[in-house]
Parts: sequence; structure tokens; C-alpha cells
Amino acid sequence: MASRFTARPVPGGQQLPREFIAQHQRARIVAALAREISEKGYRAVTVADIVKRAGIARNTFYDNFGSKEDCFLAAQQYAMSTALEQVVDAAGTFESWPQRVRAGLTAFLGYVVAEPHLARTCMVEALSAGPAAVRYYEESQQTFVSLFKLGRDVSPHGPELPETLEEAIVGGVFWILYQRLVVSEPDSIEGLLPELVEFALTPYLGAEKAREVATAPDPSPAPQA
Amino acid sequence: MASKNWSVSQDGLPASGSVSSVLLRDPVNPVESQEFPPELARLPPGRHGLPREFVAHNQRERLIAGLAEAVAENGYAGTTIADITRHAAVSRRTFYEHFSSKDECFVAAYDTVMNELRERVGDAFEQEEEWPQAVRAGIAAMLEFLTTEPHLARLSMVEALVAGPVVIERYDAAIQSLVPFFQAGREGRPKKVLAALSPTTEEALVGGMVSLISRRIFADRTEELEALLPDLVEFTLTPYLGSTEAAKVARS
Repeated sequence: MASRFTARPVPGGQQLPREFIAQHQRARIVAALAREISEKGYRAVTVADIVKRAGIARNTFYDNFGSKEDCFLAAQQYAMSTALEQVVDAAGTFESWPQRVRAGLTAFLGYVVAEPHLARTCMVEALSAGPAAVRYYEESQQTFVSLFKLGRDVSPHGPELPETLEEAIVGGVFWILYQRLVVSEPDSIEGLLPELVEFALTPYLGAEKAREVATAPDPSPAPQA
Repeated sequence: MASKNWSVSQDGLPASGSVSSVLLRDPVNPVESQEFPPELARLPPGRHGLPREFVAHNQRERLIAGLAEAVAENGYAGTTIADITRHAAVSRRTFYEHFSSKDECFVAAYDTVMNELRERVGDAFEQEEEWPQAVRAGIAAMLEFLTTEPHLARLSMVEALVAGPVVIERYDAAIQSLVPFFQAGREGRPKKVLAALSPTTEEALVGGMVSLISRRIFADRTEELEALLPDLVEFTLTPYLGSTEAAKVARS
């Protein structure tokens, strides 16, 4: 790692390594925050707790973040944007909408299992972390909503579906995951995939077709046009 | 401070009845714009001859109502014990005779609101013979309660989430307690329908429903709640009845 910075002369002296160190520190602080929150809940966590868990100086924390809230927002944005990116990438490898939903949910559950503390921070604690966090939470839910809305085009009763359907589907999926994260059962999450796919697809395709997609063996991506 | 005395009846004596009847006064329109001087908000001083338990019970109710008012005004985080005692018109010492902390008082308020809500939903559900209509009636009762009590809606769905782990646990339990209402819909369904339902179907339905409701409360759009009825009914009935039949009940 160090060679990356020593191999070539860095213009402006320290600048690049400093940036690297700063980024690394941010990631470490964010991870520490997520772990602390998982243990104590957002409100009870102090900057002192975060600093201790991250093994950094208090000044270093304040070099990076103005406050606990600020640090929380960074954690939330980092986690949600990473998760969404993985969802969109996975969904994009398929042509048909039901397969996209399945692939997207697979990626999302994968992220939650890989980063249970960050996921918990975003899904469980965001609503107690002030208006900016709530707003961001709302916006990221909205992204999922628009991905689901595409299902109306392939549904035989697309036009008649209730306007709030997608919001309810996303809320339902989040709720199930939230429950598993609260009781700290991240391992059980991946096993939920078929149920969640079926839940999400049923309103569009009917129970039978939804089940077919949900329980089919792992599909291979269609060749991209 | 027009809302200060909404928990007090006209003669200046404490409102009779349960905490819920106290809590459920409309905090926005206190007793139809009637103003009470603050001294009337207190129990008559001195030898009022009221039994000790009555006074104690009544103080607890006032404190709970006081918390609901204070939270509506300042949010949970911004509410102090002084705010609560001011709204309840009792002393700080009295507060500590009943509760050891703000959190504890909030838990009591939360439980009061949820018991009321549960009762209303349960009653509405029980009154219908057919399960789909019962679901519709239960959801309608919930929406009606939350619409007519926007401050309590906020207390139970928004402020509860910032009130610490004890309340969050109760919040989760309260939402999960709706699951059996939907599970009842499995009874008597054809095998094919049952095969398509998964063990988490009801949990997901409840989660979806609550998410729709609480997002509107979060955004201070409580007045939109009642319009959600057909969507929520259709959403929750579809897995059991299919979308055509569910839509029929929803729009009936």
C-alpha cells in the first residue's frame, strides 16, 4: 500500500498521502460509529465512544466530522449509495423485469449480510438521527420505489394497481430486514430471498408466476444486447 | 398556551375517566377555545377530601397528558421534565413520585396510546363477520384514530423512534401484534392460495402498511391518512383473495 505513494514523487509534497490517510480515517470512524450504534442505539452513542472504538484521537474525529450527526450522515450516505450501486448493477445484468427484481433483491440482501452494522444504521437508526437522516432515508427508499414501478409495464393489471403499491412493497421488505437486524440474525437474511421476491412480485404477476420466479434455480444473466 | 388546560373539565376539576379520555382530547382545539386560568388546572388546594389514591392516579394521568402536550410542542428530544410538569400543572417532586425519568414517563404515555389504538382496531375488526371486511374495518379504525389525534399519531409513530431502546422494543412489538389479524385470513383459503403464502407474508404486509402510514406522519401529512384506506386494503388482501377480489373490497 505504501509503495503506491513512494513509487512516484508526489507533487506538492504531502498532499496525496494525506488525502489517502484522511479517507482511510473516515472509513474507520464511520465503521466505529456503526458498531457503537448497533450496540447502544443512536441517541446513547457519544463522540468519545466513537473515538475510543476507532482508536483515534478526538481531534482527528473533529478534523473529519463536525458532530456525531455529521458522522452519522456520512455513514448513511456511504452505506446507501454502496448498496444501491450493487442493486442497480445486479439488476442491470438481466433483461426481464422479474429477473431484475430477483437479482436486485439478491444483491441488497447480500449487502445487508456483509455489512450488518451499517445496514442497521441505515434502516433501524436513521429515523432517530434527526431530520437530515430521515430525509436521506426517504430519498433512498424512493429509488427502490422507482425500480419497482417498472413492473407496471409488464403487469396485466398495471394501470389498476394502487398508486402506493411500490411504497408498501419497499416498506414491507425493509420491515422484514429491520426485524432480522434488530434481533441480530443477519445469518437468516439470505434465506429470506425467495419469500421476499415472491412478496414483491405477487401484486404484478399473481401468486403463481411470482412463485415460479422466486423459486427457480439461480438464473444466468441474459446476454446483453 | 391555549392548549394548556385541555385535560381539565369545565368546573376546574380533573377530567373524569381513563387516561385515554384525558389524552384523547384534541390538543389543537382545547375544549372549544375556552380559556382556563392556570390555577384551575390544579386540584383544589388544601382539604379537598379526595381519596389519596384518586389524587395519585389523577396526577399520573396528568403527567402523561402533560408529556403528550410537551412532546407535541417541542419534540421528544427537546422536552424537559420542567415542560412536562408545567403542562401537567404538578410539582417536580410529584413527577418523581410517579416516574424516575422522562423516558419512563414516555413509556407510560406510549403504552396508553397504543392500548387505545389496539382496542379500537380490535373492536372494529370483531364487529365484522367476514374477514376481508374485518380487515377493512380495522384499518379504517386505525387511520381514523391517527387522523383525529395527530399529536398522538406523532408521539406513537415518530417520537417513539427517538425515545430510546425500551420504547423501540415496544414499538416493534406493537407492530408485530397486528400480524394475527392478517394471519386469520389464511383460514379456509384454497390450498393453492395457501401454498403461495410464505411464513413472512403477514409481517411484510404489516411492515408495508405501517411504512405508508408513518411516512406521512413523519412528513406532517397526517390529513392524507384516511385517503390511504383503499390502497392499504387492496395491498393487504391481495395475497389472500387475488388482486381483482381485493380491489373490489377495497373500493366497496
